[in-house]
Amino acid sequence: MPDFFLYRRDEGTHSYHAGRFEAMASPCEVLIDSEDGALADKLSHIAQAEARRIEHKFSRYRDDNIIHRINHARGKPVEVDEETADLLDYAALCYDISDGMFDITSGALRRVWHFDGSDHIPSRKAVRNILRHIGWRKIRWQRPRITVPGGMEIDLGGIGKEYAVDRVLRLIGEVSPVSVLVNFGGDLAASGPRRHGRGWIVGVEDPGNIQQHPATVKLAHSREEFELLRGGIATSGDTRRFLQKDGIRYGHILDPRTGWPVPDAPHSVTVAAGTCTEAGILATLAMLHGAGAEAFLREQGVRFWCQR
Amino acid sequence: MQLKKKPAAIRQTLAVATASLLGGVAQNANALETSSDWEIDSALLFYAESDRIVLAEPVVRVRKDMGNDRFLTVKLVIDALTGSSANGAIPTASPQTFTTPSGNGTYTTQANEVPLDPGFRDTRGAVNADWELPLGENLTGIFGFNFSNEFDYQSVGLSATLNWETSHKMTTWTLGVGFNADTVKPVGGVPVGLTNMPVLPAIKATEGADHAKDVQDLVLGWSRVLSRRDLLQLSLGYGNESGYLSDPYKILTVVDGATGAPVADPAQRYRYEKRPRDRTRQSLLVRWSHQFENDVLRLSYRYYTDDWGVDSHTLDVRYRFELADGDYLEPHLRYYTQGAADFYHTSLIDGQSYDFASADYRLADMVTTTLGLKYGWALSDRSEFSVRAELMKQSADPSQVIGVQSQQDLVPDVDAVILQFGYTLQF
Repeated sequence: MPDFFLYRRDEGTHSYHAGRFEAMASPCEVLIDSEDGALADKLSHIAQAEARRIEHKFSRYRDDNIIHRINHARGKPVEVDEETADLLDYAALCYDISDGMFDITSGALRRVWHFDGSDHIPSRKAVRNILRHIGWRKIRWQRPRITVPGGMEIDLGGIGKEYAVDRVLRLIGEVSPVSVLVNFGGDLAASGPRRHGRGWIVGVEDPGNIQQHPATVKLAHSREEFELLRGGIATSGDTRRFLQKDGIRYGHILDPRTGWPVPDAPHSVTVAAGTCTEAGILATLAMLHGAGAEAFLREQGVRFWCQR
Repeated sequence: MQLKKKPAAIRQTLAVATASLLGGVAQNANALETSSDWEIDSALLFYAESDRIVLAEPVVRVRKDMGNDRFLTVKLVIDALTGSSANGAIPTASPQTFTTPSGNGTYTTQANEVPLDPGFRDTRGAVNADWELPLGENLTGIFGFNFSNEFDYQSVGLSATLNWETSHKMTTWTLGVGFNADTVKPVGGVPVGLTNMPVLPAIKATEGADHAKDVQDLVLGWSRVLSRRDLLQLSLGYGNESGYLSDPYKILTVVDGATGAPVADPAQRYRYEKRPRDRTRQSLLVRWSHQFENDVLRLSYRYYTDDWGVDSHTLDVRYRFELADGDYLEPHLRYYTQGAADFYHTSLIDGQSYDFASADYRLADMVTTTLGLKYGWALSDRSEFSVRAELMKQSADPSQVIGVQSQQDLVPDVDAVILQFGYTLQF
């Protein structure tokens, strides 16, 4: 099976190209507002290469990258490259401004929480024990050196896909001024108005997934659609991941400060912001606000869609 | 004062941090909206000097997003000015009578008081239009036209600014040029500089009904995002003014070089000022903005020098406290100090010859201190109301004090109050 497709979509006088590939465990798509097939091919390959680069570099499922080295240093300092350092700085800032709710060390909770739809709720003691290995403050980060104590781990997966979307948009912008929409599994960003002066039509669909369509195609089943000129959209949440015991549903959004699921979190939150990365952080933080998700987003003054 | 943390600051901090992460300047999240964005700024400013000028100034600015990164901005300003202004003559121990600029009447100043011309009444209308458009990748052009008119002054100008973003939009270079062609048409004609102010009903010597003044400006700017919290801006300015640069309504008192008292003959006692017909100025501006967790500190320093001998230093500090619900409180401190122009004379000595002379206190050794406070209410995420109140004190020094002049406050301090109401709306 080929790993890369390029389509041409005819839409009246304004055709565009769509490059499709698979990366970061998601279907990825780049819409290019140009009739130039060679250009579209070039830009799509740039997108694919960048998505794969970021996936390779920051995936926690590999044993040959910087994340693996950091997580297996057993308390020894690891010197990281500029890009990783920038992302760690960013994660540290997100930790600060969210009062510890956004924490890239929270992945260790997966050792006790298995969201398989079963009734396997971990014991309080197990959660308490695992919390000793969680908390960004326990990590020594002094650019460019990071020291992760044994038993702890970091995971940039909470930023990676959105970061990749914004990076691809930027790389394409350096090559060509054409308007593009980058969509990696529902997290997306657009670079600017299309040739006809309008944006890309984006639909927010049940259950919180996003699809994009040309301006002329109306989606009967989408809850809302609007024109995206520039900026990013990201979604947090997945309704299929939960545990249920004694009639109580435990959502998969875990508060790294308590180790327990956030009560009353929405099924999904979609946020529109200046970039896909910002939108992603805001969507994640909103989920962590549980019942207060909508109030939090309203305070931020961003456009959002909450599904409960 | 209890300053609550503003929740929306998370989004702003995040926007700046993300821009730094991705290597670029912060994107405006509002850019999400479709291409029918309007932005309206309106303000009403009052400026009142104690016992002197009162100014009311309504301003309306409309910015329209025309799509494809093109913006049209139109600004309308009306200045309504009333009150009196120092005419340049010194206060003396006896009352003084002056001929009005029109030559049709007189006004009298009491003994030991600073002579003020009470006929200061003027309305100025100004319109300014800017067209902003992308000229290429990372290059933006802004082309402007401005026109202003009042009954004794007219100005027409064109400007062009190029902004070039480099290093992944971390650095912006700015090149700006401006040209203004002005016309001065004083009441009663343009007086011949340094000739005597006639005593009614005599006619003053004039150089005609109007004079031209040309102004050229060149600005070179550089700004750089230093970190996710810091922005540094540098700007160099070069300007030239040529033509009629004097104030046609300002005079100087001719005094006895030994006693300091005005000369006895009223027809010889006052002379019209005269400034050089050319002025070349240079300036350097450094501005640093730092964002704390929520609050923003803005510091700027400006150095100015010109070939009239005026050198000035301006220090400006603003600190914006972000309060709850999008409100903010911003204290402002400005300190300005200036060295006098070479031809600034508080009075002229009888029998000496002068190439140029002006007693305008704005050309004297001067210190201006401004203290202000601004409060902004976020009415919604797309509209804001603000009130700004400032107190300004100008203290100028005389160029020299001769004999009996020491009994007078030759250049009294000028205190002013500024009050501004602003309203901004996006839709």
